[in-house]
Amino acid sequence: MTDLEIVIAQWPMFLSGLWMTTQLLVLGAIGAFFVGLLCLYLLNRRSPALERMTLLYIDALRMLPFLMFVYLLYYGLPSAGIQMTAVTASILALTFYHGAYFAEIMRGAWAQLPGGQTESARACGFHGFNLIRRIILPQLLARSGPMLGNQLIYILKDTSFLVIITVQELTWAASAVQSQYFIPFEPFVIAIVLYWLLTLLIELGINRMDAVAKEKGLGRS
Amino acid sequence: MAAHDSQPPVLEADNICKSFGDTEVLRDISLAVHAGETVSVIGSSGSGKSTFLRCINWLETPTRGAIRLHGELIGRRADGLPMSDKLMAPYRARMAMVFQSFNLWPHFTALQNVIEAPIQVLGVSKDEAISEGEALLEKVGLSDRASAYPYALSGGQKQRVAIARALAMHPSLMLFDEPTSALDPELVDEVLTVMRDLAREGMTMIVVTHEMRFARDVSNRVMFMDAGRVAELAPADRFFTQPQSDRAKQFLRFQE
Amino acid sequence: MQISDLSLFIGGAWTTVWISGLAIAAGVLLGLVLAMLRIGRVPVVSQLVAIYVSVGRATPIVTLVLFLFVVLPSYGIRVDREFAAILALMLNTAAFNAEIWRSVYVAFPLSQIEAARAAGMTRPQYFRRIMLPQLWYAALPGLVNEVTFLVKASPAIAVIGIVDLTRVSARIAASTWQPMPPLLVASLIYMVLIYGLLRAQRAMERRAERFAS
Repeated sequence: MTDLEIVIAQWPMFLSGLWMTTQLLVLGAIGAFFVGLLCLYLLNRRSPALERMTLLYIDALRMLPFLMFVYLLYYGLPSAGIQMTAVTASILALTFYHGAYFAEIMRGAWAQLPGGQTESARACGFHGFNLIRRIILPQLLARSGPMLGNQLIYILKDTSFLVIITVQELTWAASAVQSQYFIPFEPFVIAIVLYWLLTLLIELGINRMDAVAKEKGLGRS
Repeated sequence: MAAHDSQPPVLEADNICKSFGDTEVLRDISLAVHAGETVSVIGSSGSGKSTFLRCINWLETPTRGAIRLHGELIGRRADGLPMSDKLMAPYRARMAMVFQSFNLWPHFTALQNVIEAPIQVLGVSKDEAISEGEALLEKVGLSDRASAYPYALSGGQKQRVAIARALAMHPSLMLFDEPTSALDPELVDEVLTVMRDLAREGMTMIVVTHEMRFARDVSNRVMFMDAGRVAELAPADRFFTQPQSDRAKQFLRFQE
Repeated sequence: MQISDLSLFIGGAWTTVWISGLAIAAGVLLGLVLAMLRIGRVPVVSQLVAIYVSVGRATPIVTLVLFLFVVLPSYGIRVDREFAAILALMLNTAAFNAEIWRSVYVAFPLSQIEAARAAGMTRPQYFRRIMLPQLWYAALPGLVNEVTFLVKASPAIAVIGIVDLTRVSARIAASTWQPMPPLLVASLIYMVLIYGLLRAQRAMERRAERFAS
């Protein structure tokens, strides 16, 4: 059996690694999205204290390496009495780390929205959650969609850090096959190709969304 | 009025034709410009004036036709292909161009803009280029702005720096491509004044312009273009007082 | 955590800085070369570069650094950890930098090139004197932005055992009953570093705006 055949025979391992990576990506992205919305909500509450804290959170987390944040949760939470698995810590880390980036993207897109819409909605009595959901969100998504999609690629790449806290994702799978069979080249090439394909898929999705948004006249002007 | 001497014209354009794809933009444009002459090229937008000017120094490649500088054929190699920038360089060095959007190099000061080409293309020493550059900036009235960057200059000032930059190459022919079209009205005069002085000093100039008063007062001849053709070519005073072609008559009526 | 740990932190921070620094310098240069190969439309090579840029931007650094560390020895190239780390970081950042240089290049105003050609300058002359200095100014904000990303991704090198700032703090955290202080100290050091980079980036954005024609 050639090296390549041996490696391909390990496809269940790659599949499980890929599945874990995908789960982390999807759950992390959804979580980050809601964190971003939450930040938007907090910023919109007309409370200077809340605003300052939220902005501090958004700025601080973007000045931190992802792995440091993972360690802060992974070591820090248990010391506060909260026990959790590595996977849970990972999803939390992805959620709150990239939540800050999502928040920044959405905040930037919101600042560029024509102001009249928010004002007229407020004048009608819209506030808080409803304001965001019905008036702002559709436009926000259309405008910031591509940047959010781009951030998805960063989330995908950050999942690979979690191999360091023993999460069995794609990079872990490649490393496991490599160390088990002493085949250095093929496993990682397969992993890289899979990451690349996922990235191309995300970019395809972004282009689709962009096209749909343009059709509906919601495109970035 | 400049005298036409027996020397070959500074510039000859013979039957210049230019097409962009299927669109014919220039049809058989011919012009001979003698030393010390100022020729204004006028016409409505889309008549091909700028394209023609850019064919003279081969920034555009004519589809057909020849350009002669001091009697020497330029722009095409022996095999018929257009000359590279490297081969055209010595000819372009003798024809300086002033652009509608000034096209100054923003990372250089006014003085640095003026001395750059003499140093790089003519091989002039830096000290010599600097002293000449300062003199030229003084000539255009900007000696106090020598160390200013383009972003800090007004449109009229930028264009005067551009003229100084062109003069630094000691050209035998100057090409002006709508030099005042991008300027606010109150800044136009400062540039026209410089150009008027140059004409009076005997510089050979071809000026594509919308400024009719300049065309009438300063040029020796006027070439009126319409839809890619030369509709009329005449001495300036005669063109404006007794236009021959119908298109010219129509055009001048709209200029009042 | 004790005061003696401070020297460990400084050591870890220094490791992060010098490895990142070399990768950044090499990556900026390589990115420029790659961009020029793509712009020059060299047959075959340009397509290969395009593929490299696409894959390079999609590959996680953790995966890449592991890959290089185990693969290079099998080709007879003996590498120490630091070399593999610098190589991985450099290859990754070069892919991003190539895109930055390319986008700056295609946005370069043709009018300035025309003025140079009309004055008799040849391509090598105006590329060197007119384009390159301005491409550099225009690319700097993007390049500095990429540096911040590289610094934030640099802890990936811990996966092959390099004791950088992150690993130092994790080690100390794992060995005491109070894991937070060392982690917070390391976090603070990173944040100061990245804050400085972001300030520099903003200053360069302002300068680029001023010099854009």
